[in-house]
Amino acid sequence: MAAITLQRLSKFYWSRAHPQGLVALEDVSLAVGDREFVCLLGPSGCGKTTVLNVLSGLDRDYIGEVRMAGELLSRNGTHPFRIGYVFQEPRLLPWLTVRGNIEFALGSVGIPRIQWRERADVWLNRVGLSDFAEAHPHELSGGMQQRTAIARAFAVDPELLLMDEPFSGLDELTARSMRELLLALWQETKKTVVFVTHNCFEACFVADRILVFSPRPGRVRQEITVELPRPRNYENPRLFEMSVSVTRLVTGGADSL
Amino acid sequence: MAVASRPVTGTRGLKSGRRPAYQKFEGVYNRVLSLLVLVLLWQLVSMLISERYAPGPLLTLTALAETAASGALTKHFVATMVRMLSSFALAMAVGVVLGVIMGLYRRGEQFLDLGVMVMLTIPGLCYVIISFMWLGLNDRAAVLAIAWTTFPVITINLWQGVKAIDQRLTDMASVFRASRWRRTVRIVIPQVLPYVMAAARFALGVIWKVTVLVELLGRPDGVGYMLNHSFQMFQMANVFAWTLFFTFVMLSIELAVLKPLESRLFRWRPEIRA
Repeated sequence: MAAITLQRLSKFYWSRAHPQGLVALEDVSLAVGDREFVCLLGPSGCGKTTVLNVLSGLDRDYIGEVRMAGELLSRNGTHPFRIGYVFQEPRLLPWLTVRGNIEFALGSVGIPRIQWRERADVWLNRVGLSDFAEAHPHELSGGMQQRTAIARAFAVDPELLLMDEPFSGLDELTARSMRELLLALWQETKKTVVFVTHNCFEACFVADRILVFSPRPGRVRQEITVELPRPRNYENPRLFEMSVSVTRLVTGGADSL
Repeated sequence: MAVASRPVTGTRGLKSGRRPAYQKFEGVYNRVLSLLVLVLLWQLVSMLISERYAPGPLLTLTALAETAASGALTKHFVATMVRMLSSFALAMAVGVVLGVIMGLYRRGEQFLDLGVMVMLTIPGLCYVIISFMWLGLNDRAAVLAIAWTTFPVITINLWQGVKAIDQRLTDMASVFRASRWRRTVRIVIPQVLPYVMAAARFALGVIWKVTVLVELLGRPDGVGYMLNHSFQMFQMANVFAWTLFFTFVMLSIELAVLKPLESRLFRWRPEIRA
């Protein structure tokens, strides 16, 4: 059974710059399977982030139908799924320590206080930040801050993990090791993941399935199943071939694949 | 081609949050030195002019000691402090509430911003006179006038502070299912607190200046009254003594209350290095 279905999702923005309204998403329908790793791939401004905001319940002003495990997503109640969200920026609370930031999320989702310490320790250890538990975010590098954000997202034991270009602010070397870390964690936990990126290579490396979005108005233009074996490896020549053809598809004409 | 490689050792330690001790002492040393220079200059000027017009440090301290011995110091000081603290509480209450309303609601902002600007512009003396004419020469009028002069500064600080709240952090918290209460206490208040501190600091500065004015115009006690009294009697040493004493009190509030409170509250902030 699909974990998530989006039926004919449309989203309009009204602003001073666009008095007639701007169509951000038009008739987007998609499904994400249970424990599937799906990538939304497309150029900036094609509404990928909007999809995540609808899925997370942050954006409740949309047209269409969203179902979570068959249940219609309510526009005013609480979200049926426990969500982990890794944003493009770390979005850590600067006045809390690394541990404090993770415990803030644990407390927010309602995990009993006695479990906080152990859970935080486990996840800090898995992202390699055990030595920095008591440091404040400003004392960490960008990559370490983003690792904290990943630990926070996994620590709440999410039923749905949303990631919005989580590595686009990092240098490529750091991003590479972070992708490997993410896949290792995913392999262990097998969460349902929706991962937004504009990086074709990244999409091929991490995803089970890629949904290619067209530029504004955002639509799903193509669906690509990535049949590379896991654990994935950067040196795999098929990964390289695949990312070349996906890049061609995204940048060039619609039906060249 | 083989790539020769060897592990690079050495770890980058965490920057510790504290400054080394010698730097702290250096600060204290420089400040004491600057104070000494100031006193010396004062002495020099008083010697150049005359002790009658510009009493030196010694004469001023003697005048202060005499005032203290007569019991006048405590009496007038307490009167002034009571006025200051009551108007501080009133101004903070009104200023914070209005500032938060202006920061949160567009309609509140449009409704209030002009009024607050106007009230900020009007000189404190006008409020003092109006207040005394409305309510009579009493302490209620005094506190009202002082608070009235002060609250616009607080409102504007809080308004800016609330507007500067990072919506992205609030969004993060709601995705992780933080309740409204939790978001307010754990996300919003820590961000607004620095602005509250700044507002309190501005407010104290304004309040002290308006309070002496109020006491000069319409109260039979307080530091302002005594300054005026010394002026009428042409007791320059007493004018100096009261000014010196209250400056010392205000500095103590800053150093003993505000600074420690601030460094406790904002310990997480990265230290700015000169």
